[in-house]
Amino acid sequence: MRDLIDIWVGVQAWLFETLVSPVLFHFGLMAWYEPGYGAVEFVMLGVVQIAVIAIGMRFFERRWPLEKSGKDDDLIMVDRIYTVLNKLGLIPLGIFILTYPLVQEIELAVRSWGYMPPRLERLLPWIGDNALISFLVYFVLYDLAAYWLHRGQHAFGWWWALHSLHHSQRRVTVWTDDRNHVIDDLLITLGLVLFSQLVGVQPGEYVIILMVGRLIESWSHANVDMSFGWLGDRLLVSPRFHRLHHALSTPGERHIQNHNFAPVFPIWDILFGTAIYDAGTRPTGVDDAAVDADNGRGWLTQQVTVFGRFVRALLPRFSRRASAR
Amino acid sequence: MNRLSIAALALSLVTSGAARADSVLVLNSEEASYSILSRSTRTEVARLPVGREPHHLILSPDGKEVLIGSTATNELLSLDIKTGERKRVVKGILDPYHLGFSPDGKWFVTAAYRLDHVDIYHADGFRLAGRIFIDGLPSHIAFDTESKTVFVTLQQSGRLAAFDLATQTLKWNVPVGNAPAGVVMLPDDKRMLVALTGEDRIVTVDPKDGSVKGSLQTGKGAHNFFPKGDGRHYFLSNRIEGVVSLIDTKDEPKVVGSVRIPGGPDCMDITPDGRELWVTQRFLRRVAIVDIDTMKVVGNVPVGKSPHGVFMLKSTATVTAGTGVPVRAASTAVDPK
Repeated sequence: MRDLIDIWVGVQAWLFETLVSPVLFHFGLMAWYEPGYGAVEFVMLGVVQIAVIAIGMRFFERRWPLEKSGKDDDLIMVDRIYTVLNKLGLIPLGIFILTYPLVQEIELAVRSWGYMPPRLERLLPWIGDNALISFLVYFVLYDLAAYWLHRGQHAFGWWWALHSLHHSQRRVTVWTDDRNHVIDDLLITLGLVLFSQLVGVQPGEYVIILMVGRLIESWSHANVDMSFGWLGDRLLVSPRFHRLHHALSTPGERHIQNHNFAPVFPIWDILFGTAIYDAGTRPTGVDDAAVDADNGRGWLTQQVTVFGRFVRALLPRFSRRASAR
Repeated sequence: MNRLSIAALALSLVTSGAARADSVLVLNSEEASYSILSRSTRTEVARLPVGREPHHLILSPDGKEVLIGSTATNELLSLDIKTGERKRVVKGILDPYHLGFSPDGKWFVTAAYRLDHVDIYHADGFRLAGRIFIDGLPSHIAFDTESKTVFVTLQQSGRLAAFDLATQTLKWNVPVGNAPAGVVMLPDDKRMLVALTGEDRIVTVDPKDGSVKGSLQTGKGAHNFFPKGDGRHYFLSNRIEGVVSLIDTKDEPKVVGSVRIPGGPDCMDITPDGRELWVTQRFLRRVAIVDIDTMKVVGNVPVGKSPHGVFMLKSTATVTAGTGVPVRAASTAVDPK
């Protein structure tokens, strides 16, 4: 294990000291020195994730595809662009730069008041003695926050206007997970970062939680009809479980997408009454022509179009005026 | 062997006299833990949880405990210097990033790097005497020998500030260069050295008014000092250059030795026999061991993520910087987080 760590940090340190730190030093950006080192790790993790998706997960999709190749194959290409932009940190970098000052201000204000987040180790000291348990506990909590944020994406009209981009894909695959509007990404990131600070997730843990969680989420979108068995599907989100969340609504299942929100652990859907288990396969996408029109558009056009949708949902009066014209 | 077993073993080892004399503490700042290393075997004996984002540690004036600043939980965590066991937690110390006791042991000062203030406490009972808010990321601190003034580098604003300990008021605040970090008072009490992390040099500063009297090129990312113990030479970590320099401060400071330490070298401490310098390598998750006579790396020890402060448990005798001047400020360096 230590050998792997040495290789990993060796590459990270080399990349940072060769490519990043000289630039930061030259431009007097030493305040970004430590965050810069973390950013290098983020990009490296992104490369690993892309490799796992492109090589590992795609193997299963090619070997046992649920939906066969067809006329919608080309729609997947834009999702690959989303994945690369997200995993290699370009979108997260922009989000980080935008949210960092706000997150800092909130954190500093809270700390200046002398408030200390109720860390779990204080309540349950044994958690701090075991790295794996500590990681799992924080992972579960993180997932709980992600579950409720996801419900928010479906509950509020303005947020759904953004999140509908994620659901508009008719061909849900391992590349679909990152298909999100940048504002949607920003809101989710902000929510999760603030929550993580509240419960006291360490920076190192946060990176691993993020990586493991996102990989599981990518896999849950895989174009395969795979379940983990009765018990397994109640412990970990499987492709079959999550595909129901992406199912195209029908008159008989009008609200099917208001189920199976959990990103990683289905326990939240079970506890909060939103879980459904059904082996039947259904087409995926949205029953809304305006949203379905996202398909076939490129990354930039999707971003612009969905932003317009978001503004109209946020400001109905603007929407009415636009309609009147 | 699970972690609890390792912890128990570590504590038993640390409790024994032989282990105590042989142990080194290293703070793994990004995984909320500290490593206990064995000097003789150059291995990590145990890794134990501690607070959140621990960066620096300091010996108490009575030499009985080591205080770890847990920045994100606003507290000091105390380890018994003899047993290595946790003794107590001092709460309500906001963002104790860099910390130190005045030479007379009466004052305890912290630089709150994230919260932009300097706190001056009565060391007896850690009673807050004054909190001075000051912009610019206060990072390192140093004291004058008379325990009247504390000096604080302001990393973002590129300044050095001096505060009167008795009145907790600002005496002066002047520019010294880009991203000043480590600061040390020389034994003559008439010169201070300030490391400029945003540049490749250190500057000599007059403690009376902060005026810059000289400059010495050392390496990119000049960062922090540690006294060799002879009252004349100081080690300096250059984080970006990946080099530790040895500086002779007699007359005009000059570089008289250097050793390549990759991975963002940061904090340092010297073995009790004065033969080895142990340097944390923030990015490589290791501690490098340097033979001081030859200035060559002779080993390294794997530790946790982003190792920062390092402390020799044996060095319970007050480290002296020259002519009997006790250096109570955390001897380890601060980095631009």
